[in-house]
Amino acid sequence: MSENLERRRFLKGLGASSLILTPLVGCSSVKEKEDTNKPHYVMVFDQNKCVGCGECKEACNKANHLPKGKSRLLMEEQSSAVEGQPCPHCGKTGDCGCQRKFVRVSCQQCKNAPCVTVCPTGAAHRDEKTGIVTMDAAKCAGCKYCIGACPYDARFINKETDVADNCDFCLNSKLAIGELPACVQQCRYDALIFGDANDPTSYVSKLLAVKDSVRIKPGFGTEPSLRYIPIVKLGV
Amino acid sequence: MDGNIEFTMGLSQGIAWPWPIAVYLFFAGISGGALSVALFIRFYKKQTENTPFLKAASLVSLVTIALGMLCLVIDLTNPLFFWRILVFYNLNSVMSVGVLVLNAYIPLVALITLFAFEEEIKAFKPLHFLLPIIDKLRGIRAPSEKLVLVLAMSVCAYTGFLISALIRFPIINTSVLPALFVASGLSAGAAAAKMIAVSVFKEDLHSKDMHTLHAIEWPVMAAEALFLFMIIMSLATGNAGAQAAFAGFHTGVWANVFWFGVVGVGFVGPLLLNFATGKAFSHSAKAFYMSGMCAVVGMMCLRMFVIYAGQLNAI
Repeated sequence: MSENLERRRFLKGLGASSLILTPLVGCSSVKEKEDTNKPHYVMVFDQNKCVGCGECKEACNKANHLPKGKSRLLMEEQSSAVEGQPCPHCGKTGDCGCQRKFVRVSCQQCKNAPCVTVCPTGAAHRDEKTGIVTMDAAKCAGCKYCIGACPYDARFINKETDVADNCDFCLNSKLAIGELPACVQQCRYDALIFGDANDPTSYVSKLLAVKDSVRIKPGFGTEPSLRYIPIVKLGV
Repeated sequence: MDGNIEFTMGLSQGIAWPWPIAVYLFFAGISGGALSVALFIRFYKKQTENTPFLKAASLVSLVTIALGMLCLVIDLTNPLFFWRILVFYNLNSVMSVGVLVLNAYIPLVALITLFAFEEEIKAFKPLHFLLPIIDKLRGIRAPSEKLVLVLAMSVCAYTGFLISALIRFPIINTSVLPALFVASGLSAGAAAAKMIAVSVFKEDLHSKDMHTLHAIEWPVMAAEALFLFMIIMSLATGNAGAQAAFAGFHTGVWANVFWFGVVGVGFVGPLLLNFATGKAFSHSAKAFYMSGMCAVVGMMCLRMFVIYAGQLNAI
């Protein structure tokens, strides 16, 4: 076979294989375009203010009519204490509880949400108007792909409806009637702040402008909308 | 300041995808692998008759993909919801793309099986109503065989892409996984089909097709071992998450499944049976079935290991 023909065949093969591979590009993580005219709802969890009372969980359960004892968020208790060292507050070595702290565990409302990408039916989707990741229960087939795909393990199956569920800032229960999310309303210590980060006049925008806040597992590239103000150790 | 707050709890409780998914991956791999190998041989040797191996492979392929679908459906939180996956599509989702592939693949496998069993159907009166269908569709046999070969390979690869999209699990979230699943699907699929060909369709143990098959099997197995080695090395030398997940290979019950099931039974088993025994034994029917079973069991262990060790060693 002549060299010319070989090259032609090579180019043909290249063209054909790229045609075959093109559709697969759709399966890569999808970065949604930022639109500053649209709201970007964020929640800030201030660890310095949270006392771990757990009333947010009860409010969530009630507002979203979840099965008994289930809520879309958890509180994880942690401690800054270093084992074997005396507590800097009370001086005791061992269980003093002075340095305990809590972390809110819930859907991180990613801007680049893996659950939305992998959902085969479009049940896990981004709400058109608010940009909030939420569920269309009528479309969910219960395949649990979204649960495995979530880097935060923040999704679960609602045992009563058999479909996947996530914290959607009370989109349909509270935001729909013009109220704040149930947990934010319930919190007596102002540990939860909710608002539109794209609105420069909102309290949450002003807060984020002056306070350092962090996002969990940023290395996954999910760009969460849940922000945390962590407890920092004081003094030198 | 990103990264100085973490949580370890999760809302899902337990692993999202338990054993039925591993069994589904196993069946889908066997189905795609068996049919691909049979069609490779058919095209390579320009066969036109219905060989015992083609019959066996198409039957195995049809039965396993049906069982695989059953596993998939029973793993849904409510099996009656399965129609939603068939009605609603999201082309960004690997699963949804897979459903499209399977929608074309399953009917085509049924068609290929129908063609392969023409003689048997002719010999069996109650199935004669199928003959006019075969006659009518005979013209599309050749193109549908080519198409189903592409789809069969796609199904094998799809089972890998499906789970490698789960970014939380370093053992699963590797780019080599689809290639590994194609290779192991081909070797176990060929093993399952050749055992059925010999036992049910009276293929000779030393026929030409069987010789071709032996020639394919070893390189595919070597590729499979290489892919596994690549995954192990990338985890052992990877970032913190990868290194933590590497524990799945040396601690816990699933490490035993890997070393005894996947490596011991799946790789060392057939090698010993074929090369460490005398010629009289390694060419016997007993060795043939034993090494075939080794390949199939090894593949099942691999799927179970990937699903369980993968999900248990999350970042």
